[in-house]
This record gives sequence, structure tokens and C-alpha cells, in this order.
Amino acid sequence: MDTVVQSLLNGALMGCVYALITLGLSLIFGVMNVVNFAHGDFVMLSMYFAFFIGSMWGVDAVFTPVVTFPLLFIVGVVAYYLIIDGTLRQKYVTQIAVTVGLMTFLRAITQLMWKAQPRALPYSLIQGSIHIAGYNIMLSRLISAVVSILAIGGVSLFLSKTWPGRAIRAASDDLDAASLVGVNYRWTYALAFGLGSALTAIAGGLLMTFQQVDPTMGVRFGLLSWCVLALAGLGSIPGLLISGIIVGAAESLSMTLWDPRARSLIVYLIFILVLWVRPRGLFGRK
Amino acid sequence: MKIRSTTFNRVLLGVVLAVALVVPLLIRTNQYNLVLVTTVLLYGVLATAWNIIGGMAGQLDLAAFAYLGLGAFTSGTLLIRWNVSPWIGMILGGLVATGFAVLVGFPLFRFKVREVWYALTSSALVEVLKVAFVMWEDVGGPVERYLPYYSFSLYHMRFGTYIPYYYIMLAILVIALVVNYRIGRSKLGFYLRALGEDEDAAEILGVDARACKLKALMIYAFLVGATGAVYACMYGFIHPNFFSGARSTEVAILGIVGGMGITYGPLLAAVILVSAREFLRASLGGQMESLYLVIYSVVLILIALFRPQGIAVMFRDAYRKLLSWITGDEHVLEANTPGI
Repeated sequence: MDTVVQSLLNGALMGCVYALITLGLSLIFGVMNVVNFAHGDFVMLSMYFAFFIGSMWGVDAVFTPVVTFPLLFIVGVVAYYLIIDGTLRQKYVTQIAVTVGLMTFLRAITQLMWKAQPRALPYSLIQGSIHIAGYNIMLSRLISAVVSILAIGGVSLFLSKTWPGRAIRAASDDLDAASLVGVNYRWTYALAFGLGSALTAIAGGLLMTFQQVDPTMGVRFGLLSWCVLALAGLGSIPGLLISGIIVGAAESLSMTLWDPRARSLIVYLIFILVLWVRPRGLFGRK
Repeated sequence: MKIRSTTFNRVLLGVVLAVALVVPLLIRTNQYNLVLVTTVLLYGVLATAWNIIGGMAGQLDLAAFAYLGLGAFTSGTLLIRWNVSPWIGMILGGLVATGFAVLVGFPLFRFKVREVWYALTSSALVEVLKVAFVMWEDVGGPVERYLPYYSFSLYHMRFGTYIPYYYIMLAILVIALVVNYRIGRSKLGFYLRALGEDEDAAEILGVDARACKLKALMIYAFLVGATGAVYACMYGFIHPNFFSGARSTEVAILGIVGGMGITYGPLLAAVILVSAREFLRASLGGQMESLYLVIYSVVLILIALFRPQGIAVMFRDAYRKLLSWITGDEHVLEANTPGI
């Protein structure tokens, strides 16, 4: 019983980071209806940036988002104007072809620069663990989860209280009406894509405190974030957090109770089942 | 003398086929080049088969290597355990893949899983199968299982050289192309194209979308599954890494940039892009690994951005211009045949 609770705790903490990653994807897919297959590779890219900055300046991974967040925002905006913008009026298959091309590109570029072997940073400041009621909680995971929740809250505030945030939400509800009241759609889309990509920078910095990175890592995060999004549905930020926690806990439980190799199996089976049984997700609006 | 455009088409087809037949004999001394041309054909077969479900029916299937792996494991296991000929294994492998396709496709189409969600589900399936086969130690497991070696045995489909595999693959490619062409001109093909354009509209007009999509998926799975048997024999082993999500996605990308729904489009894309990629890999790989992938992905993005209709349409327009110039027949410029 203790192992189950312990594993649930670990998984739930990890799930908060998944929710943060998915929030970025949800901004891109929900607002622009762009099917971004490269989202997981943005996570991989931010982890490499965190590694690069962390090892060059000797900074702890937790603080790297200060630099990587604006960096990834720029990468996202550039990617939007260079390639995504041209596909907005195309069929979704063209968008997939383009983003798969982007995915291959990011993977190849990182492999070119940092080679294929996994990279990791030295021990982070937030190492060690605390004990609460007999359970062991890793400090790095706990802080990652807290920062993720804070970041999700921040984005939520940004979307509801500021003008650009409202513009993003308006554009996702009704593009034509939003354009009529003076929302510049290209600007808004670029902002959404940039913000969606930049959120992976926070996740990347957090993940680098307890994980290593290799160029093929993007696939896992890509499918994982689509899975969380399918479970949550579009339009509910608390729902996203709950779904992330469910996926993280399920992944962790299947590793403890069944087989460490089965982690992706369970996640994908949940994904497929959700699409069959409840296509709009648990908390979706539409 | 006036040449008719149909005769011209036939001559071109004959020339292409003759070249395809002669190529392995010209490079027979270099096994590496033989593997390359066979790989190009393999991707040609997969992308051509994909054209039925992806190109015509518009269902973005990203699970090509799931069906391929199932075919490979079926025929490979039969050969290793019970000495069953891969020629029979090919049929059985195709059937297993088809069975799996029905098992998955029926609920997917029943619950109207569409577009990006269909694509992601199929992509997830490849990973599910991969993990499942790694964990299923009786058949798969993390270690390669080798097929028995014979320097030349037709019964076991094991040869010391890649030339026979090339011809087997070529034969499958021709079958896949003929199947594609026939479906494209049948009622099913028109239904598929209609629902590929707009599924709801097609259903209102009386197209049984679910049945049509399932049929297309089954034909595709059978072709790919049968190819899997040859794939296993050619590489001489079976391994869960056959279930590769990245390669499955690549098949779909070849189908998209080749030209959705055009019979020869995916093949054209496979021939051009896969050989270009392998050429780049061989020539650049020595100095900078993965530089070839950078170039390859940029080319993919550029084609998808600027020629969303596909390579085949570019090719067809150029070919028609040439044809009308040779035959003096303006008519060919507007000819509109489904799937061509």
C-alpha cells in the first residue's frame, strides 16, 4: 500500500510538469487550430538550451528559464512566421507535413550540435528529499510541480486579465468577430505560438534538474502532451492540470505495479480509450 | 507522323519498368547499393499502399510500420519455429495485419475518431505494439531473433545476395500500383475520394463512410503486412524496433508531398526523396552526422509550403506540356482522369 501511495505521489508531481507542457500545446492547437507535431521537440530543444546555458555559465538548471524562456519565445515566433503562417489556409495534412519537417529539423540540428549521447547537468540545488508522514518526496520533483502550477496560474491570469491574453482567447472563440473588434490575427497567432513554445522552456529547465536529454526525447513528450490534451479537452486550464496528474500517476503506477517498460503502453492505451469513449475530453467545452 | 498520347504513355511506362528491371543487374557487385535501391522500393510500396487510406480516403494513418512489423513477426516466427515458408507467411502476415486493422479500425471509425486524432491514435498504436512485443518474450523480447540462414533457398526466401529481394519488392510494388489504380477507378475509389474531401457531405449523399474507410484500411494493412514478411527475410531477423513511429510518419509524409490520391505520387516521392536522403547520408555522413537530415527536413518543409499539391502534380504538368508539344495535341493539357 505504501508503495502505491508513494508511486502515486511521484507520478502526480511529474504530471504537473506534463500539464505545463500541454498548456503550450493547448494554446497552439486551441487558438490557431494548428496541429503541431513538433511540440515535444520544443521541449527537447529547451532541455538542450538549459543544458547549454547551465554548463556554459555554471548556472543551476532551475534558473535557466530566465534565459531560455525569451529564447524559446523567439524561436516560436520565428517558426510561426517562417513556416506555420503559410499553412493556415491549407488542409491539416499539410500542417502535419510541415510540423513533421520542423520536428525532423529540430532533432537533426540538436544532434548536429550536441551529438547523440544523452546530456545531463551536475546535481541541482534542489537535490535531496523530504519526508512527510513516512513518504519520501523528492525535492526536485516537488519544486518542479510547484513551479509548474505557478506558471499555469500565471498564464491563466495572463489570458483573463491582460489585453493580449484576451485577444488570444477571443481569436480562439471566433476569429472573424475578433478581427472585427481590432484583433490582429497574425500578431495574435504569433504571440500564441511563441508563448506556447516558451512554456516548454520552463518545463525544460525543470526537467533538467532530474533528467538527462537526448535528441529522440521529443517523441515521448509530443505524444504524452497530446494524450493529456485529449484527456482534458480544450478550454479548461484546471482540467489540464487534473489530466496531467492523472496521466503522470497512471504512468508511475504502471511502472511500480506492472513493469517499467509498460509506462508508455498505459499512457497510450488511456489516450486511445479516451478518444473512443469521450472524444471531447473530460473537461472539454465543445 | 502524329503520335498519340496514349502510345506515348505506354512507351514511358515500358521504359520505366525496363529500367527498374535492369538496375540491380548493373549494380550487382555492390551490395550496399542494392540495399539502397531495395529500400527505395520498400518505401515506394509502403507509400503507394498508404495512398489508399491516406491519399484517397484522407485518413492520415501513421501506423505503416505497425502493420509491417506484424507481418514480419508473423512470418518470421512461423519460419523460425515451424519452418513455414515465408511465401505462406506473407499471406498469413498480411491476414494478421488485416485482422489487427479491423480490430483497431472498427471502433475508431465507429466512434468517429477523425483527422488529427486518428493520426495520433495510429501513431500511438505503433508505440503500443513496440512495447507489447518487447514485453512478449515468447515471440519478441529485447533481443533480435535471427531467421535461419541459407545462401540460396527459394523455400525459405533467404538469399546470400539482395538481388532476389529487389525483384520480389518490385513485384509487390507493381501489385500495389495495380491495386491502387483499380481502386482509384472503382466505385470504392470515388466514394473514398468523396469522403476524403468532406466526410459529412459524402455521408449525406449516401456513402457508407465507415464501411468504405474500413475496406481501405484493410487493403492497405494487407499489402503492408505481406511486405513485412519480405522485410524480415531481407534483414534476416525480427526485432520490436521494426515498430518504428518515425519511419511510419515518414511513409505518410512521402504520401503527402508526393501528391494525395495520385497513384504514382507516393512512389515518385519515395524514389526522389529517399534516394536523395540516402545519397546525402552517404556523402555527408562521414564529416557531419545528421547534416543530411537537416537538409532533408528543410526540403520537406519547402515542398509542403510551396507545392502543397505534391511533387506528382508538378511532374504531371511538366509531362503534359511536353506531351502536347510532341503530339501537337492541346487536349492533353486539360485531361482529367481520377488518380492520374
